[in-house]
Amino acid sequence: MSQFTRRDFIKALAAAYPAAVLTIPKAHAASKARVVVVGGGFGGATAARYLKMMSPTLDVTLVEKNKIYTSCPLSNEVISGFGELKDLQTGYDGLKKHGINVVFDEVAAIDPAKKSVALKSGTTLAYDALVVSPGISFNYGGVEGYTQELADTVLPHAYKAGPQTLVLRKQLMDMPDGGTFIITVPKGPFRCPPGPYERASQVAAYLMANGKTKSKVVILDANDSFSKKGLFEQAWKKFYPDMIKWVSGANDGNVIKIDPKTRMAYTNFGEHKADVLNVIPPHHAGNVAVSAGLANDKGWCPVDMLTMESSLHKDIWVVGDSCVHGELPVYAAPKSAHMAVTQAKVAAGAIIAKLNGQPAPEPFFVNTCYSIAAPDWGFSVVHVYRVEDGKLMYVKDAGGISPIETPALAVQRKLEARYAEGWLRNIMADAFA
Amino acid sequence: MRYRVVFGMILAGLLGSAYAEDKTEALAITCNNCHGVDGVSVGPNMPSIGGLPESYLKNILLEWKAGTRYSATMGRLVKGYSDEQIAALAAYFSKKPWTPAAQTTDPKLVALGKKVTARCAGCHGETGNAGDGDTPNLNGQWAEYLELEALKYRDDAVAMPNKQMRKAAQKLSEEDVKAVAEFYASQKK
Repeated sequence: MSQFTRRDFIKALAAAYPAAVLTIPKAHAASKARVVVVGGGFGGATAARYLKMMSPTLDVTLVEKNKIYTSCPLSNEVISGFGELKDLQTGYDGLKKHGINVVFDEVAAIDPAKKSVALKSGTTLAYDALVVSPGISFNYGGVEGYTQELADTVLPHAYKAGPQTLVLRKQLMDMPDGGTFIITVPKGPFRCPPGPYERASQVAAYLMANGKTKSKVVILDANDSFSKKGLFEQAWKKFYPDMIKWVSGANDGNVIKIDPKTRMAYTNFGEHKADVLNVIPPHHAGNVAVSAGLANDKGWCPVDMLTMESSLHKDIWVVGDSCVHGELPVYAAPKSAHMAVTQAKVAAGAIIAKLNGQPAPEPFFVNTCYSIAAPDWGFSVVHVYRVEDGKLMYVKDAGGISPIETPALAVQRKLEARYAEGWLRNIMADAFA
Repeated sequence: MRYRVVFGMILAGLLGSAYAEDKTEALAITCNNCHGVDGVSVGPNMPSIGGLPESYLKNILLEWKAGTRYSATMGRLVKGYSDEQIAALAAYFSKKPWTPAAQTTDPKLVALGKKVTARCAGCHGETGNAGDGDTPNLNGQWAEYLELEALKYRDDAVAMPNKQMRKAAQKLSEEDVKAVAEFYASQKK
């Protein structure tokens, strides 16, 4: 190199130019840093994969309790019988092939001061950076009379997809014509904002398709409005006239107590008898995040909106449903799989930058969330965000819900119903393959 | 030595432009959620976009942004991006290799599709690989996506800019549409 001449310089420049433009310099100093990811859902799996893709020499360990992951998105379609649970499931072999250490274990404790994660098996993992993506945990005490034992047996919430999804499906199939299927919705924020209303639609679709047209679906809601309300109500009117009834919080829809034996749901002033009682209990950040001191007094984990690093403990990044990412009305991330995946990618970039002593790159967040209200009748909500003055803002001209009035309603709805399925295949592959 | 210093400075300058590439990649990986890693879709109703011609990608993104081309979802997304970001994304995905989707097709429909697509070959090439830099690859694209895309051209209620495509698509019977989709989907080259 000491003989570096002008000619060499020009040659090197010519060689460097396309290289510098076409290949992106990845992490350097971070090479052997240890990153632990807690939780192998959409957020955690994506974080692990993209950390490894962006910086292949990183030592990445993913800790997950279950060997099989079941997607919540499109699990309402399993309840109605239009989809199958096995199509929503994946293992972790894909992540292992990328060189990620996948450890099937449970977290006993996170020590943010010592930067270590103790596992129930007795192993302790030291980390330079930690990603926490445990999803949600339920507050069963939030509805008097409801317990985890009931959820796991006769009164599934099915708000984590898996065995409970199939129990609820069976209960729907066993419900006689003329029966009432009640869904109770907790006060927001909750995971998958349109989820309960899509579920009501899918239940109604099953009832219509199976000639149980005298049945009713009642949504007892602690809230006064809901995601994609106009789109859902339009679909309900078209496909299930008078079958679905929504009771808002202001109309005494907030369920405070149930009787599991009689399947009664009690509100402040009223009572409702169900044939199938589907209680969605209030929830909060995953217990592991709460125990680690990452949650605020409302039970969710505040983060830096540009990097996803915890506001409460440094070198810990919280992504997915557990985090509270931004504040309304300026910006707030919905608790969706799509959001979790984009947050995880931003966190991966921010972690590598921090390990290298560099400033975090500009983050890009986007959300797309499809709901299927009837066969070939889907719609979406889209959010695009941009950094302005150091804060994340909705891009006003972009995003929004699917058009309610359009000359080609059927085409629009059919396309988005199909896209929902294609979206799931791709986002699962993006995170797990 | 002097040159090494200058070289270092110029390289640093180039890395400055490489930062823009970094930003493009950070932006582009948000597309992976729906269109697959490197734009290779594994969902039969979502198009693969990796390896499509740059000018095609740029044009449709800009048309969606302007509202001159109908889309069910993309228009709402793309309005959130600057023209520079759109150009960078088009360039980024066009440089990825085009990867025909792994799918099974019906030989009977493929045979019919071969006949029906004779009239398409002028613009799209015999196998759907026009290679002119402007026309999207249809060879190995997902059949279901192609069929859904035809819906847009066949419905006068939605804005699609290419009149010739519209006319051609409306001449097809339902079965022809399926056959055309299956034929192009089955092509690997």
